[in-house]
Amino acid sequence: MASDPMSVNSSAREPPAPPGSGADEPKYGGYTRFELELEFVQALGNPLYLNHLASRKLLSNPAFIAYLDYLQYWSRPPYLKYITYPGPTLKNLELLQQEKFRQDIISPDLVERLRVEGMKAGIDWHRESFPSTA
Amino acid sequence: MDKYLDSRFERVEKALATFIDSIAKYNPSEKLAEDLVAADRELAAGLKELERHQNNHARILQLRQETASLDQQTKDIIGGLWNMRKEVKSTPATQYPATGPKYQFTTHELLNYAKRISRTTLPPAHLLYNSEPSESQQVGGQGGQPMEVDSAAQTPMPGGGGGTATAAGTPAASAAPTPAASGPSGPGPVTTTTAPFSQPPPPPSANQTALPEDFKPHINLLTGYQFHPWPTEDKVRMGGMAAYQSLVSRAVDPKGYDPEEEERRKKEEEEARKEAEERAIREREEEERRMREERERMARERERARREEAERSGSISGPAAGAPAAAASSAGGGGRSQFTFLDGMDDDDDDDED
Repeated sequence: MASDPMSVNSSAREPPAPPGSGADEPKYGGYTRFELELEFVQALGNPLYLNHLASRKLLSNPAFIAYLDYLQYWSRPPYLKYITYPGPTLKNLELLQQEKFRQDIISPDLVERLRVEGMKAGIDWHRESFPSTA
Repeated sequence: MDKYLDSRFERVEKALATFIDSIAKYNPSEKLAEDLVAADRELAAGLKELERHQNNHARILQLRQETASLDQQTKDIIGGLWNMRKEVKSTPATQYPATGPKYQFTTHELLNYAKRISRTTLPPAHLLYNSEPSESQQVGGQGGQPMEVDSAAQTPMPGGGGGTATAAGTPAASAAPTPAASGPSGPGPVTTTTAPFSQPPPPPSANQTALPEDFKPHINLLTGYQFHPWPTEDKVRMGGMAAYQSLVSRAVDPKGYDPEEEERRKKEEEEARKEAEERAIREREEEERRMREERERMARERERARREEAERSGSISGPAAGAPAAAASSAGGGGRSQFTFLDGMDDDDDDDED
C-alpha cells in the first residue's frame, strides 16, 4: 500500500500533512500520501476488504500491523474530520489493533455477519433516532 | 376499658337494684328512676365508646400490619440495592481512559462535518421509511446480483392483485407469469426468479395505462439499491490505491510519478514530434525545390552548350546541318522528358534560321 517497502521501520513515520497546510507533498501515482492513506483507512471499514487483506496474509505481517497502529492517527484531529464513513472506519480500525480480530476476520461467517449487521445498523440507527417519523 | 364499662354496669345495676327495692317497698321515687335512666344513658355512651375503641384497635392493628409490610418492602429495596451495588461493582466496565484527550471544535465545524458525511451515513428515505420487505431484502440479499433478482421477484407481490385484475381480460396476460401468479404450482422457483427477464411482456390491453409489473423494477432506479455504510468494492477499485497498484504492476515507480504531469509531458513530446515532422517536410520541399532549380539550371546550361556547338558546326558545314540537329533534338526531347521544353526553343531556332 502506501508504505513503501514492507519493513517495520516504514511505519515510524509522521502522519502526512493535512491538505491546505501549504507543504508541497510528494505525489505517488498522482496522489499524496494523505489521500492514499485516507482512502485506505476508509476501505478498512468494509468487512469484505478486511477479509481480502486477511486472505493475502497481510494481517499477520508485523510490518502491516505496525502500519495499522500508525494509521490510528486518523482517530484524532485534524485528520478525524476527513473521514466520511466514520462509524465502520473507526470501529474496524480499533478492532484491527486486536490480535484476535485480525485472526478471526479470515472466517467468511464473521465477515458475513459483520456485513449484514453493519448494513442493518446503518439503517436502523436512523430509525431509532427518529422513531416518530419512522 | 373493662373497668370503665364495669363501673357503668355496676352503676346501672345499683340504680336498678335500688329502684327495684324501692318498688318492692312500695315506695317508688322519681329520683331513683331518673338515676336509673341516667345510668342507662351513660352505659349506652360507654358502649359507644367501646365501639370506637374497638375500631381504633382494629385500625391500629391494620396500621401495624401496613407498617410491617412497608418495612419489609423497604428492606427488600435496600437489599436489592445492596445486591445491585455488588453486581455493579463486580461488572467489568469498559475502561475508558479517565482523562481522555478532549478536542475543541466549533458548531460550524460540526455542522460542516455533518453535512459532508450525510451522503455516506444517511441511507435514502425509501430504505428508512419503507415497509419491512425492503429491509428484509436489504439484509437478506447476499450480494449485488441475487439482490436484484430478489427485488424483481418480490415487488410484483404487493400489487399482484391489482395487476392481475387489469390484465385478466387477455388470456395471454395471465399466462405471462408474474411471480405471484405462477405460485407454487408453477414451474418452480428457478424459473420464477428468471421470469421477469426471460418472459415476453404481456400484450397491452386497450385501456391499460399502468406499466406491467414486470417493468417496474427496470424503471425504478433504486431497484436493488443497497446502502453500504462503508466504501464499496467498486469505489476501492476505482480509487487512488488501484491507480498506484496499476503503476506498480506496470513496473513504474509511483513515487514522484504524477499521471497528470506525465500526460502533459507526453503531450509536449507529441507536439515537439509533430513540429519536427513538419519541419522535416518543409525541408524536404525546400530540398526538392532546390534540386528542381538545379536541374533547370543544368538543363539551361546544357542547352546553351548545345546551341553554341550547333552554331559552331553550322559555321563549318553550313545551314544543311541545322535540320538533322533539330530532328535529333526533337527525337531526344521525346525520350528525355526533362528536355521537352527545348522543342519550343528548337522551333524558335528554326524560325530564326528560316
